[in-house]
Amino acid sequence: MKRRDSLGVLLALALCTRAPAHADVYQSPESFIGEVFGQRVSPKVLWLTKLMQAQASAILGHPPAQLRQRYWREGGRSVWILEETGKEELIGAGFVVAHQQIDHVRVLAYRESRGQEVRQPAFLRQFKGARLARGASLDRDIDGIAGATLSVAAMERMARLALYFDASSRN
Amino acid sequence: MARRLVVLRCLRRWHARVGITATLFFLVLAGTGVGLNHGDDLRLDGRHVHFAWLARWYGRPADAPLDAFRSGRHELAAANGRWSLDGRVFGERLPQPVGLAELPDLFVVASRAALYVYRDDGVLVERMEQVALPGMPLQAVASAGGTFFLKTASGTFASADAMSWRRTEALEISWSRPVPLSGTAQRRYAAALLPGISVQRLLLDLHSGRFFGRFGTLFVDLLAALLAVLSLIGGWLFFRPRHRRERQ
Repeated sequence: MKRRDSLGVLLALALCTRAPAHADVYQSPESFIGEVFGQRVSPKVLWLTKLMQAQASAILGHPPAQLRQRYWREGGRSVWILEETGKEELIGAGFVVAHQQIDHVRVLAYRESRGQEVRQPAFLRQFKGARLARGASLDRDIDGIAGATLSVAAMERMARLALYFDASSRN
Repeated sequence: MARRLVVLRCLRRWHARVGITATLFFLVLAGTGVGLNHGDDLRLDGRHVHFAWLARWYGRPADAPLDAFRSGRHELAAANGRWSLDGRVFGERLPQPVGLAELPDLFVVASRAALYVYRDDGVLVERMEQVALPGMPLQAVASAGGTFFLKTASGTFASADAMSWRRTEALEISWSRPVPLSGTAQRRYAAALLPGISVQRLLLDLHSGRFFGRFGTLFVDLLAALLAVLSLIGGWLFFRPRHRRERQ
């Protein structure tokens, strides 16, 4: 029933929300990191080894855009600012990982003309508590949004990548 | 009875003529339709075609770069949102660079909003934006004595690895500046850096007829009407003799 309610909310959002005509930046990465840690935290760098590049490629469906990934860690929580293409444009999102599971997710920038419903809390709450399961997939299904299939898929890929990067950075 | 036969023959003849004439257009419509149907799977929106005549047709100005950045081993020219880095052309919506600098293992390209760090073989190591940079916007970049220098609106910063930056007061820095290109080089780069048109958009415009302007759309409407008429005539021709045989 709860699942049906959330689907209803998502469907209503999909039908009611107007598409933006241009890029929407909702929050800067610095502001998101400051909000998560409440203080200034120095960034760390994760270098992607060949093995990690291969795994990241398997998760994303294409090679990772860069060879090193910046992240922030403090008190058992890590923050990953990632970008991935939805349909044509990059979606920027911040992922907070704690105890090998997603603590929360925020869409920071959305540049597609449609599908910006992925930034709504009702959708993003589905990621809370998600872990990596076998095959580097999430341990749960993420409900889609009508008209935002590719953006939802991009968010899911980024969540998997954040969890994988977090695990790799701890090894 | 004879009149009916004449009408039937006439219909058959025109059905064949119109069908043959429209075949090419129908094949284009079918091909583009199938392509659009699988556009997401084929990532057609991320693929681009680059032809001078196509850019002109779409009214996209094809600018030629007037200058390029050169460091010891690398050369960068940019135009139309594309970069040519050591002869390798990539990107579709890349920013205009403001500088290029190199160290033995790394080189960096600065735009106003980001610093692109490359391995010496041209593989992108990291695209650093505001969150990872000491100041914005970037104004110039340089390298000397194993150190990168970055000039920003908030001051000048130095780094040996393009990861962590420290403020510096160094004054004698030779900042990377663009050098003018010869006419031949400009033409060569202009041909390499033609603006791209997304394959998805091209297919969509061909399918709808918009590729040929307002009249193209009307022409596709006409083709749709023709297809409907052909279907009706074909159906009638197919079923009519059978009815006659059934009656006999």
